[in-house]
Amino acid sequence: MSGRTFFGLLAFAALFPLVVLALYAVAPGWRFPDIIPARFDFRALEFVARQWRLLGLHMASSVFYSLATAVLAFLICLGPAHHFARREFRGKHLLEGALLAPALVPSMTFSMGVHYAFIRAGLADTMAGLILTLTVFSYPYMLRALVAGFQSYGEEYELCARNLGAGFFTRMVRVELPLLLPAAIAGGSVVFLVAFSEYFLVFLIGGGAVPSFTGYLFPFLNSSDRGIGSALTLLFLAVPAALFLLIELVVARVYRRRGIY
Amino acid sequence: MSARGTLLKFSPLLAPFLLLFVGGLALAVAQSFGLWLPFPYEGGRLDAYRALLQPYLLASIGFSVYVALASAAASVGIGAVLSYGVWRLPRRLETAAVVYKVPLILPHIAVAFIILVFWTKSGFVASVGHHLGLVDTPADFPSVLYSGNGLGMILAYVYKEVPFVVILCHAALKRLDPRLVQTAHMFGARETHVFRAAVLPHLRNSLHTAFLILFLYTFGAFDIPFLLGESTPGMLSIEVYNLYFRKQLADRPTAMAVLVLMLLFSAVFIVLYTKVAARLSSRERKL
Repeated sequence: MSGRTFFGLLAFAALFPLVVLALYAVAPGWRFPDIIPARFDFRALEFVARQWRLLGLHMASSVFYSLATAVLAFLICLGPAHHFARREFRGKHLLEGALLAPALVPSMTFSMGVHYAFIRAGLADTMAGLILTLTVFSYPYMLRALVAGFQSYGEEYELCARNLGAGFFTRMVRVELPLLLPAAIAGGSVVFLVAFSEYFLVFLIGGGAVPSFTGYLFPFLNSSDRGIGSALTLLFLAVPAALFLLIELVVARVYRRRGIY
Repeated sequence: MSARGTLLKFSPLLAPFLLLFVGGLALAVAQSFGLWLPFPYEGGRLDAYRALLQPYLLASIGFSVYVALASAAASVGIGAVLSYGVWRLPRRLETAAVVYKVPLILPHIAVAFIILVFWTKSGFVASVGHHLGLVDTPADFPSVLYSGNGLGMILAYVYKEVPFVVILCHAALKRLDPRLVQTAHMFGARETHVFRAAVLPHLRNSLHTAFLILFLYTFGAFDIPFLLGESTPGMLSIEVYNLYFRKQLADRPTAMAVLVLMLLFSAVFIVLYTKVAARLSSRERKL
């Protein structure tokens, strides 16, 4: 198979479902056995447009808790990742395995217990409780990314800055963080996506009180009217895609200006 | 660094880990034994575990393992072949091939929706079949969804998970010397043989880790079965949901016992995972 054919097939497999969704969005009445919809109308799009306030609220809430989860994951993983990358100690593999477990065990196993404890502590149905739970579920991706990030450059930068008399915060802000940024963004993107696309945990811990786009989307996916579900799914795809593009552009610019890489 | 310093450095992570993760698990274990329940429980300590032996729950366990095995195996197989294809693309196309990541951005419930749109009896594939003269009415279309064999869920997982496998394998292939493959071709090896003898051994560790991650995820996940799952046998996660939210309070210990069972099952594979993943270079790991 030539490279071009392979690429064509790959792109088709990845993108064709989205084309079908886009068609449904402008032809909610599309039915068997038409391959091309018989009639186009903007019923679904009009509905989505009318709901923009509600939709915007759910979307903004989803983006907010996902970003907060990524930031919190970064903050709690920074110290341990440094230690894992720079030091050898007894039980290192065991500890690392244990700390990665939250992303590997089924999230239900610990979240049901957390839910019960949160009801007692008054954290159920709150944004703070949700962000905490999502962080516990998704920080292992950040931890992995940061360990790899620390390993990708040696300890020498840190030592050199220390020898020149830089204190902890100067070293952090001027040396470590800029070098760690690519890894932090890689880890942060995964954490963001995991949190943003999660349905069950948001439904369990948020309890419907915390608005979320997945929660808003779900009833439409289950309905017989495919148009609205399709339009909303595409919208769902657009937001993280736009966010990643933005990050990519901003980071590239910052790096060029500072002359790193 | 002193032991206290180390502990201080780890505390921001250890505190939520112990409180929420370990604490959450401990609560599930306690409630499975009938302790710390929000209502007076009259059953015996091990009643919940005895309830696991009901035929429908045993069937559920088997079904969850089967769906997880089938989706992880299919994703890893397809992903390995595709990553090799992407790696062999000319540079310009290799960059453009990032479109394969699209299903990664889609949430699981959206992927389940796509499977619904394509594979219901009156879905898009049935329409195409109609135009090819294979399907007369929707009733003629073979039941892919809700037919008891989990095919709908497996399709959804494969679509969602193949890009993940490709990412992991593609990172590993960047270390493979292209001349190895070229030489094999020069000596007249056929494509399938090159793949089996040169590419697969190179990808072995990546494929093992990818398989374990996907197997564990699929085994316990909730979102896709919630939309695409059939009721008998159901995935374990759905059974837990039903026991916890839909049935009586007295069934909660049983729900928790199922969770404990899932936890123990996963623990075995997590140990395996940390062993296999340690062989990968740090850069090629995602988890």
